[in-house]
Amino acid sequence: MIQFFQVTKYFDRYAALRDVTLRVDKGECVLLTGPSGAGKTTLLKLIFGAEVPDEGQILVQNRNIARLRASDVPYLRRTMGFVLQDFKLLPQKTVFENVALPLIIQGTAGLEVRRKVSEALKAVGLDHKRGSQTAGVSAGEQQRVCIARAIVNSPIILLADEPTGNLDTNLTMEIIELFKAIHARGTTVMLATHNRQVVEEMKGRIIRLHSGRVLSDQGVYSETNSLSCP
Amino acid sequence: MRRILYLVRETVANIWVNRMSVAIGVVTTAFTIACFGVFFLLYWNLKNLAGSLQDEIQVMVYLEPDTSKVMVSGVRRHLEGEHAVASVAFISEQEAVKDFHQQFPEESSLLDGMGDTPLPASFVVTLAPGFQSSELVEGLAERVRGVPGVEFVRYSRDWIDTLGLFVSYLEIGALVIGLILAVATVTIIANTIRLSFYARKKEIEILRLIGATRSFIAVPYVVEGAFLGVVGGGLSLALLKGGFEVFRFELDASGWFQGLDSVIAFFPFQISILLVVTGFLLGSASSLLSVYSLLRSRA
Repeated sequence: MIQFFQVTKYFDRYAALRDVTLRVDKGECVLLTGPSGAGKTTLLKLIFGAEVPDEGQILVQNRNIARLRASDVPYLRRTMGFVLQDFKLLPQKTVFENVALPLIIQGTAGLEVRRKVSEALKAVGLDHKRGSQTAGVSAGEQQRVCIARAIVNSPIILLADEPTGNLDTNLTMEIIELFKAIHARGTTVMLATHNRQVVEEMKGRIIRLHSGRVLSDQGVYSETNSLSCP
Repeated sequence: MRRILYLVRETVANIWVNRMSVAIGVVTTAFTIACFGVFFLLYWNLKNLAGSLQDEIQVMVYLEPDTSKVMVSGVRRHLEGEHAVASVAFISEQEAVKDFHQQFPEESSLLDGMGDTPLPASFVVTLAPGFQSSELVEGLAERVRGVPGVEFVRYSRDWIDTLGLFVSYLEIGALVIGLILAVATVTIIANTIRLSFYARKKEIEILRLIGATRSFIAVPYVVEGAFLGVVGGGLSLALLKGGFEVFRFELDASGWFQGLDSVIAFFPFQISILLVVTGFLLGSASSLLSVYSLLRSRA
């Protein structure tokens, strides 16, 4: 599904990622952890084609990211869902309109849009808020809208960058449960987080990054290796 | 359908959010196109004037005194055999005197005491279309001068040629000024679109993240640019028409250039539409340039 072969990425001579080699299979749940500046976001950006590697190769669904033309990047992204810390929602639009956006972009028919958006909103428990202005809903609800938008076109891969960064413990738990449900449906989930609670609850494969290098690729979180988690 | 609806709504939203800069863009575009329009209108009228004068050019072939009827017929045959000649009209010596008295009644006494036929008989030659250039008229005159019975040949080409030269300079001027003003219009519209783009940068970032193509993102901005160009072009047309009517009214009231008011005309419908189309094309092109340069990165 996702393969990194000795990938290095520089930003102004500073190596954000160094010699990273990893493989993520279909249906896996991967938790990227590490301190700020470890390279978590860069790794995700490389997967969705916002950046190209300076060295090495990346294959995402058998497509070489380094050789992907800029005009093909949108089509790669349509197979993915994104959940970000700052939500990246359109505040002046309704919850429905925000969630429908990926489908509208793809030219999905009107009835199909309504059906899929309803499904996604039900999955995150926000069907009753479909007509609300996004700016008017709470932070937790905004993150759920973001998750609904990410899953509305049934993505093969779900990428999340600090999805609980702005949320309290209770809301974090709600989001974790949603991610678990999405993963249970067979979606490959890659989640970058600082949050110990997320790492403990998600019970996925943990990849620790530090200064752009893979420090450890531990497999599933357990009490015995919990001390090595951030 | 939903996609088209979305793009229409986004375009309207873009224009509404940036209504101030759009209004400024429309007004500046209108004035810029109107500046070119004034120059083009002047060129258009002078070109038409030169064209109508060129169409009316005639060559006068004066005959020697007491030319026999046979010789006159010979001259007529020669003239009618020329490709450059559209029609020939004969004015006898008596008709010439009659015409002189009719055209210059005050100066009639000038011919007193000069006999019955003081003016020569002549042929008035109207040139065929496409044979009105200096070289061709000069060639015709040379050939006719050698025909027996012809005393001299006269035609008033020079000042028409000067007018033609002036019009051709004006044509180059219109082209240069048009080009400069087109660049100015493109810059104005491109900057307006750029402002509109920056105002919605966050939204564009989100659209790109969720898989929107460059074309999908660009469409509302290109339509906005086209709208700006069309409205600017339409407004410039209204300004020009208004200005033209005021000018014609003032010209009539002043009494100067009497007779010119029938020659002076506003652009025909097709040219008027062309001004709006120019606005549309400039608007679309500048917004395309602007948006595609801003969407070049992959992020």
